[in-house]
Amino acid sequence: MSTATRHRTLVAIPAYNEAATIRAVVERVRAHLPDCDLLVVNDGSLDATGRVLRGTGATVIAHLCNLGYGRAIQTAVLYAERAGYDRLVTLDADGQHDPAQVGALLAEFDSGRWDLLIGSRYVVGRRYTGVPLGRRMGMRLFSSMVGLMTGHRIYDTTSGLKVIGRQTFTPLTKWQFIDFHAEALVYLMRLGYRIGEYPITVADRLHGTTMYSALSHVKYPLKTALMVVLGVVEANLARRRAS
Amino acid sequence: MTAAGIVTGALIGCALLVWVIDLIRRDRLYAGYGVIFVFGTMAALTVLIVPPLRRAVVSATVALLPVPSLSLVALVILTFLMVYVFVQISVLSNRVMRLTQELAIRSPQPQDGIEPVSGQPTERFSC
Repeated sequence: MSTATRHRTLVAIPAYNEAATIRAVVERVRAHLPDCDLLVVNDGSLDATGRVLRGTGATVIAHLCNLGYGRAIQTAVLYAERAGYDRLVTLDADGQHDPAQVGALLAEFDSGRWDLLIGSRYVVGRRYTGVPLGRRMGMRLFSSMVGLMTGHRIYDTTSGLKVIGRQTFTPLTKWQFIDFHAEALVYLMRLGYRIGEYPITVADRLHGTTMYSALSHVKYPLKTALMVVLGVVEANLARRRAS
Repeated sequence: MTAAGIVTGALIGCALLVWVIDLIRRDRLYAGYGVIFVFGTMAALTVLIVPPLRRAVVSATVALLPVPSLSLVALVILTFLMVYVFVQISVLSNRVMRLTQELAIRSPQPQDGIEPVSGQPTERFSC
């Protein structure tokens, strides 16, 4: 019996205007992870994303308007929590993640060492090669910030490929996050959850553009830095309330 | 600017900073709006506390736009009012967001007649 059937696993793909790639991604997930349920969160797409998913066998839930990546992930977590799944795997809809690598991630997750496991592009080399300078600086900054706040450095804080354990569903739906990146990791780690990284490779984006605009390159680091600090405060308060 | 003025300004700035940060933490103010107030207030506090910066800003302001000191009070009130308005927008936006999430979760569309996942949500979601 495979690991996916022993544990009920939901693979969730948040999608916003990904008509060009989403069908192929869904088909690859179904081919490589036949035992997992598949959910696509259509985050208010304006293109044909909803239409191209017809006939793919995926379950689609649709936001009536665009809420952003973080909220799309949160919707998936809420869905997984209420439907009683044990694990949630999140994948990007742009085809950069190879579903064939998810099996290894799930096997590592099943070792019981982690509450959340990140598919990491940088954990092996620990160098941000092939990334534009601005983004590389941001990644270094947030990786260091996570290390400073938690004592455990995470090298790929922005990876969209994650395995999220059931035990973390509730905290992830109780507080607000921007993109489920450094701020969510710090919050969970300060609450005592164990977060690890597992090496993966990522393909180049074939269609569409990144979700970060020119303005967001300024706003995103400020927002995330603020939320990281607030995450520490909120986690400390939550722990105090619980005790 | 007098020492009393600097201390008063710094106290008002700190109060605004604490208020805004607490609002963001409690999800009453969207972080995207809050970050403008937080970093704006921090910049203003820096100008207020660092004498060369303060002198430069005061001389530039007096030269470009001579206004009575009383207008600073109006500016402070306006800033607090702006935070209040953004809080109302954030609260409304949060309700719409939660409603949107709830509607999505309650109406999954299985493609190709695949059975929906078991354990469909039944509990109410408070906005």
